[in-house]
Amino acid sequence: MMLFLQQLVNALMLGSVYVTVAVAFTLTIGILNFLNFTIPTLFMLAGMVGWALSYWGLPFGLSGPLHWALALAIGIAAAIAVSLIVERFTFRYLKTKYGDSTEHAIPLVSSLGFLLIVENLVRIAYGTEARRFPGPDANMTLDVGGILVRIPQLVSLLITVLIVFALVQMMKRSRIGRGLRAIAENPDAANILGIDTKRIVPVVFMLTGLLCGLAGALFAVNYGEVAPMMGEDIGSKAIAGMVIGGLGSIWGAVLGGLCVGLLEMMTVHFFGADTVQIVVWGALLVVLILYPKGILGHHSIGKGKL
Amino acid sequence: MLEVTELDVVYGRTRAVKGVDLRVGAGEIVTVLGANGAGKTSLLRALHGAVRPAGGRVVFDGRDLTAQSPAARVTSGMVLVPEGRQIFVSMTVHENLLMGAYLRRDGREAADFDAIYDRFPNLASRKYASASSLSGGEQQMLAIGRALVARPRLVMLDEPSLGLSPLFVERLFGLLRELNDDGIGILLVEQNTAMALEIASRGYVLELGKVVLEDSADALSSNTQLTEAYLGGESLPETSGA
Repeated sequence: MMLFLQQLVNALMLGSVYVTVAVAFTLTIGILNFLNFTIPTLFMLAGMVGWALSYWGLPFGLSGPLHWALALAIGIAAAIAVSLIVERFTFRYLKTKYGDSTEHAIPLVSSLGFLLIVENLVRIAYGTEARRFPGPDANMTLDVGGILVRIPQLVSLLITVLIVFALVQMMKRSRIGRGLRAIAENPDAANILGIDTKRIVPVVFMLTGLLCGLAGALFAVNYGEVAPMMGEDIGSKAIAGMVIGGLGSIWGAVLGGLCVGLLEMMTVHFFGADTVQIVVWGALLVVLILYPKGILGHHSIGKGKL
Repeated sequence: MLEVTELDVVYGRTRAVKGVDLRVGAGEIVTVLGANGAGKTSLLRALHGAVRPAGGRVVFDGRDLTAQSPAARVTSGMVLVPEGRQIFVSMTVHENLLMGAYLRRDGREAADFDAIYDRFPNLASRKYASASSLSGGEQQMLAIGRALVARPRLVMLDEPSLGLSPLFVERLFGLLRELNDDGIGILLVEQNTAMALEIASRGYVLELGKVVLEDSADALSSNTQLTEAYLGGESLPETSGA
């Protein structure tokens, strides 16, 4: 029983990384009808830029936590900047209409191009090996009635919950949030009311960069290492989480991400680490066939309330 | 107020609107009639900026808006109530009105929301209900309310009576008259010819993208040839190669 509870806590912690990335996927799918393949890259960039800055003794030769925290903050900023560049080349300069389902393959393919180009650039620069990230001691733990909780992971989980909550409130109550929801539901009607997609779509990419950058930074802190390929594993599991939770629903992505964390822990426990992707994506296929709207999705798939 | 000259709209190889001249004076109700495929919706889309015209000019209150975005037209005072209402069903009634006032920054929107709720008590009692729970007629009222909170001086409506019960059609046309009495110009695209000509002062008849007739509403009403030719309708010589 104790072991089970401990695994449950571990799953929750692991899942919180997937949650943030799954929410990023949900935003672009829900609003732009666009499966953004640059998301794993943005996740990786925040970690790698943070690591590279630390490695070269930047920024400003600070030492201790001030140093790695600032390095990661710059990493997150880099993820946001790259995401905005991606917006230009997946949407703005290509002759696609925002939210047009018939031409959604074009941004998808160009975002896949970004994924491969950036990953390989980073690989050329730093090789494929994982690098140790000099963050806080990941083994600081809290003992709750025999169950060990790592403090950095707990903080990460709280930050994740907070950021998702803030995002949901923004979508619900702010002017920009309403504009985004209007584009998500009916781009034509939004256009008729004078909502300028060209101005508001970059907001989606900014949020995507922020969420992925944050997830990448938290990952670097929690696991103490970064790698040029770290985005692919996380990204694919986050897609699975998004689908299991229900396409187009933010809270669905949260639940789905946690489910994938749980599934992963159980799989590692019973079958070993090699089978994780098989079980996770197997679960995704089962959900798509038997219950395509997912846990919290809308009955017309992908058209839920954001 | 609205001056349209030599307007051309082209989709790929199809010329949907061919050299249309059209005028709506301040506080006037003007109707555009025509069968399905005559180019009415294409005309409205070009007037509203969703489609960039291939030629011609759209001038509103002396400002050339031809190359401007829909947003620029909304802020200049031209709004469109699209065909099929297109309200946001994932939002509440009130959120839909907020979307109509999206471009307003004057901070006095609340008074206009109240005015809409006074005008449409059905909407007031359902303010925080999902817009999807409204009946078709109520949705049309919401679509018009959403257009009005932008404080327009010209409202363009695309087939507003489509799919409404006779009772709601009566109310709709009554409402358009009231708005007109308040000084709002109206450009009405309708299939319900009789009703449209009853409230309009002038009308245009479109056929295959061209204006084939332009006259006062009275003259058009008494023109039996028009009704025959027009209601004979669907004479679309589709010359597709397929």
